[in-house]
Amino acid sequence: MSNRILVLGDGAAGTIISNKLRFLIPTEDADITVIGNSKFHYFKPDGIHIPLGMKRYQDSVKKPEFLFNYGINYVKDTISNIDVQNKKVSTKSGKEHTYDYLIIATGDRLVPEDIPNFASEAHHFYSLEGSLELKKKLAGFNGGKIVIGPSSIPYQCPPAPYEFTFQLYRYLNKRGILKDTEIHYIFPPNRVFTIENVAVYIEKLFDEKNIQYHTMFNVESIDSGARKINSLEGEELPYDLLVLVPPHKGQEVITKSGLADEVGYIDVDKHKLTYGNYDNVFVIGDATNLPISKAGATAHFESEYLASKIASEISGFISDDEYDGAVACTTVTGDEKAMTLYFSYN
Amino acid sequence: MEEKIKPTKIIDARGSFCPGPLMELIKAYKSAKLNDIISVYSTDSGTKRDASAWIKKSNNELIGVFEHEGYYEIVMKKTKG
Repeated sequence: MSNRILVLGDGAAGTIISNKLRFLIPTEDADITVIGNSKFHYFKPDGIHIPLGMKRYQDSVKKPEFLFNYGINYVKDTISNIDVQNKKVSTKSGKEHTYDYLIIATGDRLVPEDIPNFASEAHHFYSLEGSLELKKKLAGFNGGKIVIGPSSIPYQCPPAPYEFTFQLYRYLNKRGILKDTEIHYIFPPNRVFTIENVAVYIEKLFDEKNIQYHTMFNVESIDSGARKINSLEGEELPYDLLVLVPPHKGQEVITKSGLADEVGYIDVDKHKLTYGNYDNVFVIGDATNLPISKAGATAHFESEYLASKIASEISGFISDDEYDGAVACTTVTGDEKAMTLYFSYN
Repeated sequence: MEEKIKPTKIIDARGSFCPGPLMELIKAYKSAKLNDIISVYSTDSGTKRDASAWIKKSNNELIGVFEHEGYYEIVMKKTKG
């Protein structure tokens, strides 16, 4: 009998896991269905390059259906409820999908509205629209104070704000306006990156470039009149150009379905990636509450583990492999250099 | 932790790594009321330094850092409105 694998989400995590499963499991052994509603699939890592004119946005988008391998059923629809007790997923079009295996890869979302005045004052590179707006804004920038950083944690791709800062430094230098610009980098914990040894290295690079950094800075509000941001810790920073990573939350359907609290990230078994007591319900990518990066690289490494586990089970083997949180990703550090980060739960 | 201090909210961040426990503390702080006592449990020794530094910087009161068997407990009082 053919197994029914249902994947929720057509972003990076949903696309990677579906293709890996299809590669490992013959079509006669499992039907793979993906539900998603993306108009286009945007390669988010390009967000740090598009505002600086280093990449054409047209090269960063594709239709989602072109990214799924042969033998994957792609359903364009919006998920309205996930009922893990009755193994049923409902969609806005009124359809119900049942499954033997469920993989939740719904990602997370940007909630700039959580900070008053964000939309009118801040720019960001966390969506294609945001990157294109920032590109326009930078073209008209001729010097002043730029404040950059994540407004809060968690957010997608933790290195992206420092990567953008290094690329921006190069851009300002090329335009001859670096001498007229102060760059201020803010970060919520008490160092400039979540992983301590990486933070030490990034601080050294910031010092070399005279990029000022302000740690333990969680953005509380933006004063549009005085053009300054205020932190939860009681500090304020004036700006001429504000580039802030918007606050993030999990998807609303996750909260509405009772799978997580109002913030929307799902608690999962960190070694099995399962939800609650359901050994056929898995969560990967940005949708989880795991203590590792929210990034495509994480989804990739989680998918390596999960696809192999499900494929083994379907072929009749017992897999006792566990996911150890291992992720590797390469990050830009400026001056045409990069560094690869390896990390895990340990 | 001393008997007389009763936390309004306890965050069990054991098994998570820095800055996870600190960010959990900040999340709880945002929704806490003035004079609430928040306690965070952590197995990562770095939390002692990180959380204590944040509590001081944000002008709140660090009640204490306690070592229990296999984990640390950092207790703060929200004194900033």
